[in-house]
Amino acid sequence: MRVLLADDSGTMRTIIRRSLESLGVGTVVEAADGLQALELFKAGGGFDLVLTDWNMPGKTGIELIRDIRAIDQKTPIMMITTEAEKSRVIEAIQAGVTDYLVKPFTTDVLRQKLEKFAVTT
Amino acid sequence: MKAEQINPFLIATHDVFQQMLGWELTRGQPFLPEGFAAQYEVTGVIGLTGATTGTVALSMPRELALAVAESLLGERPSDLTPQVADAVGELTNMIAGAAKARLEALQLSLGLPTVITGQSTAIAFPSRAVPIAIPFQSPRGPLVVEVGMLPTTC
Repeated sequence: MRVLLADDSGTMRTIIRRSLESLGVGTVVEAADGLQALELFKAGGGFDLVLTDWNMPGKTGIELIRDIRAIDQKTPIMMITTEAEKSRVIEAIQAGVTDYLVKPFTTDVLRQKLEKFAVTT
Repeated sequence: MKAEQINPFLIATHDVFQQMLGWELTRGQPFLPEGFAAQYEVTGVIGLTGATTGTVALSMPRELALAVAESLLGERPSDLTPQVADAVGELTNMIAGAAKARLEALQLSLGLPTVITGQSTAIAFPSRAVPIAIPFQSPRGPLVVEVGMLPTTC
């Protein structure tokens, strides 16, 4: 399983990467913003899952989702964000997000969310 | 700034420390800080814009910032490294984000967090805002959350 992880916080990337590694995910490719993530996705990484923050410099997570969905409708995308308002969740669903996790979260909740994708992909 | 606008930040701070670090916080008595200087050595700052404008700051001593980074990253940084700043900035981001969700009528948007070091460094609150400081005690040391928002009719 290959995962593309986009978050401008190195702390968040470390927390999420550790959870993925504990689930036996083979490869986690990290991007520090949406632009870098889109370039990596377009480069043909063959990703099984995309995880993205919302608020990032350069290109936001919601813009990243729209750009990915314009070229790929199948790869699951989960947003992990502080944006908790219902209007934001609806916006993300309309953009094509597959799942949504609001920060803060416990490691158990993060693991449960990620486990679902690790099993189904 | 209305008193009911402070409660979301109290709740958010409790939730963020409990869920991300497993730490229970004890809240102290809110106070009006003298001047705009940071309360402790490491301070995460984030701006809010929308129906009002505001600033949220999470300030903690150096030792607590190192403990936060150690808990989140799994290893203790040697000093106030960029990783420590990032960890404090991310907690600040989560506190502001969780509070924002409870202030939905204000339709707030978050800026990107920045982290300043030095206890005498000034925090840029909006002019005319009167910041309120909320002290907390964590199992690893004290911290203060400061919130300054312009008055709003919402």
